[in-house]
Amino acid sequence: MATQAHSLSYAGCNFLRQRLVLSTLSGRPVKIRKIRARDDNPGLRDFEASFIRLLDKITNGSRIEINQTGTTLYYQPGLLSGGSVEHDCSVHRSIGYYLEGLLCLAPFMKHPLRIVLRGVTNDQVDPSVDVLKAAAFPVLKQFGVDGESLELKIVRRGMPPGGGGEVFFSCPVRKVLKPVQLTDPGKVKRIRGMAYSVRVSPQMANRIVDSARSILNKFIPDIYIYTDHMKGVNSGKSPGFGLSLVAETTNGTFLSAELASNPQGQGTAVLPEDLGRSCAKLLLEEIYRGGCVDSTNQSLALLLMTLGQQDVSKVLLGPLSPYTIEFLRHLKSFFQIMFKIETKPCGEELKGGDKVLMTCVGVGFSNLSKTLK
Amino acid sequence: METKDQKKHRKKNSGPKAQKKKKRHLQDLQLGDEEEDAQKRNPRAFSVQSAVRMARSFHRTQDLKTKKHHIPVVDRTPLEPPPIVVVVMGPPKVGKSTLIQCLIRNFTRQKLTEIRGPVTIVSGKKRRLTIIECGCDINMMIDLAKVADLVLMLIDASFGFEMETFEFLNICQVHGFPKIMGVLTHLDSFKYNKQLKKTKKRLKHRFWTEVYPGAKLFYLSGMVHGEYQNQEIHNLGRFITVMKFRPLTWQTSHPYILADRMEDLTNPEDIRTNIKCDRRVSFYGYLRGAHLKNKSQIHMPGVGDFALSDVSFLPDPCALPEQQKKRCLNEKEKLVYAPLSGVGGVLYDKDAVYVDLGGSHGFQESGEARPTHELVQSLISTHSTIDAKMASSRVTLFSDSKALGSEDIDNQGLWMPKEEKHVDLKTGRVRRKAIFGDEEDESGDSDDEEMSEGDKLKNSSSDEETEEERDAEVSDKVYVTGRGVKRQRLEEVEEDAEVDLPAFADSDDDLEKSSEGGGEAEEADESSEEEESSVEGERHALEAKAVEGGGKAGLLQSNGVSGSLNVEKTMKQATVTISDSGHCTAEEAFASEDESEESSSLSSEEEDSENEEVVRKKFRKPFAAVSGQKLGSENLIDETSDVEDLLKEEEDYTEENNFSIGTSGALKWKEDLSRKAAEAFLRQQQATPNLQKLVYGIVTEDNEEDGDTQEELGGLFRVSQPARERKHKADSLDCSRFHVETPHDWDLDEVMNSIRDCFVTGKWEEDKDAAKILAEDDELYGDFEDLETGDMHKGKPGPVTQIEDVEEEIKEEIDPEESAKKKHLDKKRKLKEIFDAEYDEGESTYFDDLKGEMQKQAQLNRAEFEDQEDEARVQYEGFRPGMYVRIEIENVPCEFVLNFDPHYPIILGGLGSSEGNVGYVQVRLKKHRWYKKILKSRDPVIFSVGWRRFQTIPLYYIEDHNGRQRLLKYTPQHMHCGATFWGPITPQGTGFLAVQSVSGIMPDFRIAATGVILDLDKSIKIVKKLKLTGYPYKIFKNTSFIKGMFNSALEVAKFEGAVIRTVSGIRGQIKKALRTPEGAFRASFEDKLLMSDIVFMRTWYPVSIPAFYNPVTSLLKPVGEKDTWSGMRTTGQLQLTHGIRLKPNKDSLYKPIVRQKKHFNSLHIPKALQKALPFRNKPKTQAKASKVPKDRLRPAVIREPQERKVCPRLLDALSSVHRHKVRKAKEQRHLHNREHFRLKQKEEEEKLKRQKDLRKKLFRIQGQRERRNQKSSLKGPEEQLK
Repeated sequence: MATQAHSLSYAGCNFLRQRLVLSTLSGRPVKIRKIRARDDNPGLRDFEASFIRLLDKITNGSRIEINQTGTTLYYQPGLLSGGSVEHDCSVHRSIGYYLEGLLCLAPFMKHPLRIVLRGVTNDQVDPSVDVLKAAAFPVLKQFGVDGESLELKIVRRGMPPGGGGEVFFSCPVRKVLKPVQLTDPGKVKRIRGMAYSVRVSPQMANRIVDSARSILNKFIPDIYIYTDHMKGVNSGKSPGFGLSLVAETTNGTFLSAELASNPQGQGTAVLPEDLGRSCAKLLLEEIYRGGCVDSTNQSLALLLMTLGQQDVSKVLLGPLSPYTIEFLRHLKSFFQIMFKIETKPCGEELKGGDKVLMTCVGVGFSNLSKTLK
Repeated sequence: METKDQKKHRKKNSGPKAQKKKKRHLQDLQLGDEEEDAQKRNPRAFSVQSAVRMARSFHRTQDLKTKKHHIPVVDRTPLEPPPIVVVVMGPPKVGKSTLIQCLIRNFTRQKLTEIRGPVTIVSGKKRRLTIIECGCDINMMIDLAKVADLVLMLIDASFGFEMETFEFLNICQVHGFPKIMGVLTHLDSFKYNKQLKKTKKRLKHRFWTEVYPGAKLFYLSGMVHGEYQNQEIHNLGRFITVMKFRPLTWQTSHPYILADRMEDLTNPEDIRTNIKCDRRVSFYGYLRGAHLKNKSQIHMPGVGDFALSDVSFLPDPCALPEQQKKRCLNEKEKLVYAPLSGVGGVLYDKDAVYVDLGGSHGFQESGEARPTHELVQSLISTHSTIDAKMASSRVTLFSDSKALGSEDIDNQGLWMPKEEKHVDLKTGRVRRKAIFGDEEDESGDSDDEEMSEGDKLKNSSSDEETEEERDAEVSDKVYVTGRGVKRQRLEEVEEDAEVDLPAFADSDDDLEKSSEGGGEAEEADESSEEEESSVEGERHALEAKAVEGGGKAGLLQSNGVSGSLNVEKTMKQATVTISDSGHCTAEEAFASEDESEESSSLSSEEEDSENEEVVRKKFRKPFAAVSGQKLGSENLIDETSDVEDLLKEEEDYTEENNFSIGTSGALKWKEDLSRKAAEAFLRQQQATPNLQKLVYGIVTEDNEEDGDTQEELGGLFRVSQPARERKHKADSLDCSRFHVETPHDWDLDEVMNSIRDCFVTGKWEEDKDAAKILAEDDELYGDFEDLETGDMHKGKPGPVTQIEDVEEEIKEEIDPEESAKKKHLDKKRKLKEIFDAEYDEGESTYFDDLKGEMQKQAQLNRAEFEDQEDEARVQYEGFRPGMYVRIEIENVPCEFVLNFDPHYPIILGGLGSSEGNVGYVQVRLKKHRWYKKILKSRDPVIFSVGWRRFQTIPLYYIEDHNGRQRLLKYTPQHMHCGATFWGPITPQGTGFLAVQSVSGIMPDFRIAATGVILDLDKSIKIVKKLKLTGYPYKIFKNTSFIKGMFNSALEVAKFEGAVIRTVSGIRGQIKKALRTPEGAFRASFEDKLLMSDIVFMRTWYPVSIPAFYNPVTSLLKPVGEKDTWSGMRTTGQLQLTHGIRLKPNKDSLYKPIVRQKKHFNSLHIPKALQKALPFRNKPKTQAKASKVPKDRLRPAVIREPQERKVCPRLLDALSSVHRHKVRKAKEQRHLHNREHFRLKQKEEEEKLKRQKDLRKKLFRIQGQRERRNQKSSLKGPEEQLK
C-alpha cells in the first residue's frame, strides 16, 4: 500500500518549468497533456526536453515518460541529488531559462550543486545570467542561502543564435530556510550595470554606457556601468551586445533591467545608443513598480517563502507579473499554500506604482535529501 | 523509654550549616569573613598565578553554562491549545480504568461507568485533558506514545515492574519523550510498613534510572469503595493540571488528530449492494501539532494513507470557560466530552446537530449538571402531544411478555444502527429520524438494515409532526440518537421520562445557546460554503414560489435562525433569545409573524433588485435592496459585483443574513447595526482591489483539466473570462519576465517626479529623515544628560530644558493629553533603550539574539492573522491546532468500519509534502540491549517510523573507514550499525524502533532495535564482499600463471591491474590474460609463490533490497483480534512450520579441535662444526645412564622356529603342574592350620577352667573368713581375741 501522492494533471506546455520544479519539491507526480497538440509541430521542443534532461541529471530516481508525439509528459519526481554536473543547454533559450529552475532547486540538494551550463548566456527573452546573478542571488541570501559557494561565474559569453557561452553555477545546501519580512524596499542608493559586447567593436559597450548614464544621471549620481568585452574563445559563436542594469537600495533590494541586441540575421540592427537609453528607461519602469524583489524574481521569492518553516513571511512586491500569478496558483495546488494578498496603494509620496504585500505561512518544508551525519 | 531511645544531638562540624554558623560566630566576634580577610591580607596569593589555568577554568565554566542551553525554537503553541493527551498506561489489572474514572469524577463530578476511547474534560481555567487508556497491545502502545503529552504509568507495586512498562518507556524514548509520571497502585496489599517503604524506594529508584532522576512517582495508597482515595486523586489532578510541557519535534512539525468520534457517511445503498465497498468516513477531534491543510495527506496508523477529502472546523464541544476572573470553575464549565463512550450531550456536525441522550443514566447526570432543567422540563412536558405520548406508550399484553410500543407495530422490530442518517440531496437538509439503537435489549431483534422505504418515511414524518407541534426551532437539524426510547414495562414514571426526553434535549440545547450566547462558537456551524449555497438555492426557490406557509415554515425559519446566529456572532448581541428561545408559544407566534413578514419583504425586494440579479445570480436580494435604500445604488452594485470572491463569500452571507433579519425582525436598531456593518465591509472592499480573486478566484488545477470536469464544476464555479484567456495561451511562451505593456514617457517631468522619492536623493519619510532624527535625538539626549548629572529637578530645570518644557506645556495645551503622554512614553522608552544598551552589552550573546529573534517571529505568527475571520484564516494558514475539526476521508476499507473498536485509538497523522512517497531509507540502528536475539539481514521486521508502523526487509551494513557500506549478515551485538530498507520517506533525524512481531504476547522484551533516520535516497550502495580464487599452475621467480579465477580472457581484461593476494599474504597484481587455458592470466607478486598457495582477489558486489513495504493494518482486524496482525514470515519461521531442515555444508560444521603433538627431528650438528665448538657446547657423546643397570638388562630372547612350536605346550604343561602343586600345598596348609587352631582352643578352655576353680576356692576361703569375723564381732572382744 505504498501510496504514491496523487498526481496533478495539466494541459499545455506553458509554465512547464514551474510545474516540474514544484513537482520535484513537493514530491507529487505531474502529468502534462496536450503539449502543443494543435501546433504544426506538436510536442515538446528541444529546449524543454533539455530542461527535463537537466532535471534528470540533478535528481535520483525520477521517472519521466513522454509519449510518441511528445504531447504528453508524465513526471514522477525523485530526490534531488546534485553534485558536479555538466549540461549543454539548448540554444533556443538562454541559460537563464535553465538557471531559474535551478535556483529554485539548488538549495535542497543532497550534495551541493556545482554545474557547468553551456549555451546562450544573454538573449532577449529570458533573464540573462548577469541579471540573475545581480538580482536573484540577493533574494536567495535573504532566505539564508548564502556563503562562499553561492557563485555564478560567466566563463564565456554566447549570444544567440550560435551560443557558445558557458557559466559555472554552484550553490550550498540548506536544511531549512529562514522566514523573511521584507516590507520596506528602501531607497535606491546606487546603480550598477554591465555593458557587454562580443564579436563586435569594443566601442559599442562604451556607447551604451554613455547613453544609459545620460538618462539615469537625472536621478542619482552613483552610477557605474562596467564594460565587458570578451574576446577569442570566450566570445561565443555569434556577435551581439547588450546592457544589464541593477539598482541597489539602502535595504538590500536589487531591481534589474536589461536589453540585448537583436540576434544576427533577425530583425534590424539596433543602435547601441538606443539600446542604452531604452534599457535605462526599463530600469526606471522597474523602480516605478518597486517592491523588495524585482519582477523577474517574484516567483523565486514566493517559493522560498512557501518552503520556509511554519512561520509567517512577508514580502512587498510590485505588481504581480502573469508568471507570478500562475505560480501562486501552482503553489496552491502543490503545497496548499494560499497567500494573503494586500494591495498597498502608493501614498502621496512619489514612490511609483501600487505595491502588493504578500503574506504566507510556510509549509514547514525541510530538505529531505540532505544526509544527516 | 522514649528519652532513652532518642539519639543525642550531634553538632554539625562540616557542611553548609556548620559554615554558616561559623561565619555568624566570627561575625559576632567582629572578625569578619575569613576568606575575604585573607584576600585582603595577602592579595598576591589570590592573584592570577597561571594565565593558562585561568583560561581553562574560564572555558570550563563557559562550557557548563552553554551545556544548559537548548536550541531556541519558535514557540508555535496556539493561544487556545488543544486538550492535553494523557495516556494512562499499565499492564492489565493494575487499575487503569479505575484511575481514569476517578480522575473524571474528580474534575467533572460525573461518573462514567464505561469508558471507550478518549475522554475530554475541562480540568481548569486554561487546561483541558483528553484521557485515553492504553492496554498492552504493542500496536496501541506505539500509536499512543506518538500522540501522548503526558503518560501516567501505572505500576502494580505488589508485583513490581512489568515488561510492558519498560517497553512503553522505550517506545516513548524513541518517538520523542513525553512527560512521564509514575503511579504506584496496589499499595494496600503490603502488610508491613517497612516492606512497603522499601518497595516504594526500590521502585522509585528504578523508575528514575529509566526516566530521569527525580521523576515524579505518585502513590495511590488504597481503595475506598472500589475507588482511589479522593485526596490522592485530587492531588494527582492538580499535578496534571499545572504540568508544563516541552515541545516534541515530531509532534510540533506535524498536524495530528486523536479522533474522538467516527461516523460512516457511505451511501447506505452502496453498502446494501456491496457490503465490502470502500467507505466514506468522517472523523472528529481536536487538531494538534501543526497547521493542517485541506486536501493534504494523512496516515492513519493501523489503516493506511489517505488524502483528506474535506476538512471543516466545528464549534468546540468541550470549550474552555470564558472569563478568567474567577478562581475556580463553575459546575457548568466542568465539561466532559466522550462521544465514543456516549457522553457529550450535543454533537455538532457540518449540517446537523445530534443530541445524544445517553440513556436514562445520562439523563440523570445532566440533571445533576444543570440545575435549570426542571423548569424546562415542566415547560416541555406540557407540550408533549398526545401523538408523542401514544407513540411511546407501551402495552403489556401478558404479564411476562415484553412491552409493545407503537414503533413495534410500525416496523416490526426494525432497529437501526445509531449512526445512520439520511441526507436529502436536493435541499441539503438532513431528515430527522428517531433512531432506535438499543444494545441493552437482548430480545434478539434482527438488526435489519434493509428498512422498507415506507417505514422510513412514516418514521420521519411522524417524527416531524411531533417536532413541529412542539415547535422546537433548531429542530430540523436535531437528531435524536441514543437510547431515548426504551422498551420497558409499562410504568408511569419511566414512560413519562421517556416521552419527554427528546423534547427536553432539544430545548436544553436552545437554552444553552441563549445563555452562553456571546462567544461560544456553537453558531459557527453554518460555515461551509456548499451548505450555504444549497440553502441559498432553496431560498430562491422559495421566493419564486412566493412562499407558502405550513409545512415549509420550519425550513424558512431555520434560515432565519442561522441568520440571527450570524448576527450574534458578528455583533456580539444576545439577539438569539428572540428568535430561538425555548418558550414555545411565544416562539410560535413570533415565527408566524416572522414568516409572513419575511416573505413579503422578500417578494418586494425581488422586484427592486431585478437588474442586479441579472448581473449576479447568486447574490441575495435583501442586501441589494437595503443598499439601494441607503447608499448610492449604482456604484455600490458595481462594487458588490466585484466583491464576489471566494473568500469573502462567507462575509457576504453573514451580511445578507443580517439584513434578512433586520428587515424581517422589524427591529429598528438592528437595521442600523447591519447597515453599519455593511458600510464597514464595503470600506474594506474598496481598500483591497481584488487581486486575491484574480489569483485564486479560479481553481487552477480543475480548470485546466479536461472539459468534462469543467462541466462538472460548472454548477459551482463561474467560468470567468481570464480562465478562457488562459486556455488560449496554454501553449504560449514560458517566460518569467514581466514586460512593460504601456511604458511611461520618462522624458516628462511629472513622470520622472513620480519616482523621485525612490532614490536616496529624494525626500525621506518623517521618521527616517536624517536631519529630523538628529534633532529628535538631541532633544532626548539633552534630557538624558540632565538626568545623569542628577541636576534636573522638576522644579528647577536647566535653561534649555526649561524652554523645552515650556514648549511642551504649550503643546500640551494645544494637543490633547494623549500626545503628551505618548511623547513621554517615547522618551521613556528611548531612555530605557540607552540604558539597556549601556548595561546589557556584555550580556547579549548569540544565544540571546537567537532567542529574541525567535520570540519576535512567534509574536508575528500570532499577530498576523489574529484579526481575520476563522473561515478566511484557515485558508491562509490552514486549520490551526486547538480547533475541533471534522475530517472526511474517502476510500476507507470497509473492515475499518465493520471491525471498529472504540478502545483502540484512531490517529490521523498529517504528512509533509513528500512524506507520502517511498524510497530507500538509511538509518543508524542498534539492537536493543534487552532483546535476546540478534537480527538477520533480509528478515522482515516491523518498523515504527513517524506515524507509521510497517513491515519491511532491512539490510544491515557497516561503514568501512573509506565510506564503503559493507553488508552484514547479522546486527552486531553491542554496537550501532547501519540499515537500509524500502519504506516511506520520513525526515532525517526521526527516531524509530523495530519489533519482530506485533502479534500475541511474547515473554521477552519485544523491542528489537532502535535508531535514527540518517538519509533518504532512491538508490543504495551497499556492497557485499566477493572473493575470487585461483591457483598457480606455473611459477617463475616472482611471476606466476594463475588459472581458475576467471572464465574468459575478456573477464581478465576487465580486471587487469587489480590487486590479488595469496592466503599467506603475498601481494600481487593481475598483468595479462594468457591464451590457454581459458581465463588464466599472468600475475606478478612481491615474492615467489608456492604451488600450494591459493590466490584470491577481493571484489565488492552491490546488493539489492526488495522493495517490500507493508503497512501494519491492525485496525482492520476483527474486534478482539486486533493484536494478532502478522505479516510476512521470516525464512526461519517458514522452515520451522514446513519442517524443512537445511543441509549444512560439511566444511562449515564445527569439529573438535585436536592438537597433534609436534615431533621435532633431532638436532644434527655437522662434524666439522662439532670440532670447532668449545667443549661446553659440544654434544656430549656418552649415552645417558639408563634406569636399569646394563648388567641386569635382559637380553631379548629370540626363539628358533622349533622352539616356538614346542615351547608353548611345554610351558602350559609345566604351569598346570605347578599350579596343581601350589593348590595342594595350600590345602595342606589349611588343614594344618585348622588342627592347630583346635588344639589351641582346647588349651584355652582348660586354662579357663583351672582359673575358675582356683577362684572358687579363693572366694570360699574368703567367705569363711568373713563369716568368722562377723561372729566374733557379735560375741565381743574376748571372743575376738580368742
